[in-house]
Amino acid sequence: MKIAFCSKGCDLEAQVDERFGRADFFLIYNKETGEYTSVENMAKEAKGGAGALAVQQLVDNEVSVVIAPEAGPQALEALKNFNITVYSQNGAKTVQEALNLWSDEKLDPIEEPGKKGLHKV
Amino acid sequence: MKIAVLSGKGGTGKTTVSNNLAALVPEAVLIDCDVEEPNSHIFMVPLISGELEIQTRYPVIDEEKCIHCQKCAHFCRFNAIIAGPSLTMPLKDLCHDCGGCELLCPVGAISYENKDIGRIYSGTSRFGTRLIYGQLHIAELVGVKIINELNRQVKNMSLVIADSPPGTSCATVAALDDCDFALIVTEPTPFGVSDMKMVVELLRGKNIPFTVVINKAGLGNNEVYQYCNGENILISGEIPFDRSVARAYATGELAVEIDEEHRSLYLDLWRNVFAESEMNLED
Repeated sequence: MKIAFCSKGCDLEAQVDERFGRADFFLIYNKETGEYTSVENMAKEAKGGAGALAVQQLVDNEVSVVIAPEAGPQALEALKNFNITVYSQNGAKTVQEALNLWSDEKLDPIEEPGKKGLHKV
Repeated sequence: MKIAVLSGKGGTGKTTVSNNLAALVPEAVLIDCDVEEPNSHIFMVPLISGELEIQTRYPVIDEEKCIHCQKCAHFCRFNAIIAGPSLTMPLKDLCHDCGGCELLCPVGAISYENKDIGRIYSGTSRFGTRLIYGQLHIAELVGVKIINELNRQVKNMSLVIADSPPGTSCATVAALDDCDFALIVTEPTPFGVSDMKMVVELLRGKNIPFTVVINKAGLGNNEVYQYCNGENILISGEIPFDRSVARAYATGELAVEIDEEHRSLYLDLWRNVFAESEMNLED
């Protein structure tokens, strides 16, 4: 099972990013092997539809759980459709802390969407 | 002849200038292209004689036919389709209705459906000038199709004044379609000048001749004069900052209705702008 984190850097000690669609990186952790890879978020500089493009990258990387600060209404609906569960990273400063909290089942699922993006295109 | 009134910065006086001019020139047609927040009708008070609903299309996926090749998602530059190995999900709010995904789909799994995005109202104003304005529905994001329809409706009219959206986005570019001349409304403030520079770049890029009117003259500093001077941009008029204009505006009255002095300011502005636009048309 693959878990994605919104991250400001490329390793487990990196800070979590406080944005989902425009996070710097997605750090993708493989629960079975304990290995992780980092994916530079293509949606970071998108003019519009950043949330959608972020979801596309998670789908491409076969992620089934994402730990995020929040997700907008369209992104949340899309994540649901692609069977990706979203948990709130609240309380974690680094990816490692978020991973530990998630492993201990201490993270709450996000069920209500945050603010809608501006779509300035 | 189509003359666009635009500014870059919001609140410099696009509506003030375009409406005052339209009130003085009843043979003109005023179109309000600021479809996100049209307000010309508040001053022109038209008797509405025509309404038209504007629609856009968005893709719908037939999951029975879809082979999940993901070509549509890779193609869409607005990220309006998310595609996985067993699901293809369109996001209709992000779609710009280019039709590309439908053409591209190798198995014909994509079709388009319509949705309402806004409405166009037309009528004769209390000054006798025709007003056509568009209004984007609440929660809709893209008003370009409404502006395109406004343009289509006035295509063969001899004199059109277009109250344009602020900024230099797709909507402003759409308002400039078929435009022969532009009038930039600016104010003598750092923001007014900074945002005006983007409009100057846009108009030069589209080869549309233009002049400038300085609204709220007397406020701020002289940076705008220096800039226009340095760039060889003609200033067609100056409207002094005056509380009586703001007071009238707040009650839905135009400056040209206050007194002869304000009326002649706008008459002079119109003469200058019209003469300049005619001259450019001959060139």
